[in-house]
Amino acid sequence: MPQGRRLLEHVGERIRELREQYDRGEGLSQEALAKALKTSANTVSRWETATYKPSLDDLEGLARFFGVSILHFFPGEHPSHDQRVRALLRAAEQLPPTEIEELRRYAEYRRARHIFRQGRPRPGRPTKKAV
Amino acid sequence: MSRRDYYGKVKLVAQHLRDEYGFATPRVLRSDLRRIYGAEGIRIDLREGLRKLRGAYFYDAEIGSSVLLQRGLPTEPLIFTMGHELKHHFCDRSEDDTLVSLCSDANVSEAIEIGAEIFAAELIYPDDDFCEELDKRKIGRGQCDAAAIVRLKHDTATTLSYASLAKRATLFGYARDGALEQVRWHRLEQEMYGEPLYKRLLRRRGAIR
Repeated sequence: MPQGRRLLEHVGERIRELREQYDRGEGLSQEALAKALKTSANTVSRWETATYKPSLDDLEGLARFFGVSILHFFPGEHPSHDQRVRALLRAAEQLPPTEIEELRRYAEYRRARHIFRQGRPRPGRPTKKAV
Repeated sequence: MSRRDYYGKVKLVAQHLRDEYGFATPRVLRSDLRRIYGAEGIRIDLREGLRKLRGAYFYDAEIGSSVLLQRGLPTEPLIFTMGHELKHHFCDRSEDDTLVSLCSDANVSEAIEIGAEIFAAELIYPDDDFCEELDKRKIGRGQCDAAAIVRLKHDTATTLSYASLAKRATLFGYARDGALEQVRWHRLEQEMYGEPLYKRLLRRRGAIR
């Protein structure tokens, strides 16, 4: 399976998992989640089945809604182990807590964008196979 | 290296960039700086929810460079912050390292941040050009007042802020210590040159009283 497809499925599974475990396991309908994110239930469904690829901004909205790191949606990315994020938080000690939180989110967003782009096919014509 | 030498080097880098990108006037715009950002592959991200933090520079070998800017900053502070973050890109980064540099009022006294302020000011309006302009206007030592700064900004259309121009005039001795403090620059500008066009348009539309 192509790497991009695998990533998309992983993202979809994480969205479904978070939605179903929402509110201490009570769960949340796709309609309710869609309403909170100002999108349609159809879109949420298609994210979960890896039919649609959520944009990074969608993932950030989901991360904020569920109170998790954007890196939660990506395989093998554990924000608490990310030294760069820790270094950033040390550097930001003099800022108010809300701005430190925004910085942390941005550092993770930046990392998520990098991972997201790696799973994307390169633009342009496919190269011919060597005969 | 002494701080003086360090700041001197930082200014040289800014001058070199001005030459390379053909900045011939003290009016450096967002689009001018975007050209440098584009050529260097630095991503710009405007983010909400920031008040104290104007900008931040991030670099690591894997992801590359990106700059976080506070969404909603007025044009001149935005241009200055973009210039400030370029200093971190050109002067503070090493290829195999990770760098996070935050630009807020809280850390503005650190050498690396003072250097970035000097770099940004030099990139927008070089010290020598500023002094030359004041000399051309026959403003001697200790003679520069607030009106002279307003006239200079108006005539040159520089995007360097009044606060930076005033600081520089004091530093080079054109203004007496304290003479350019507590000035309400925009009010003075309005008294001298009338209401700016955008305000007149907003008033006509009823957006302001």
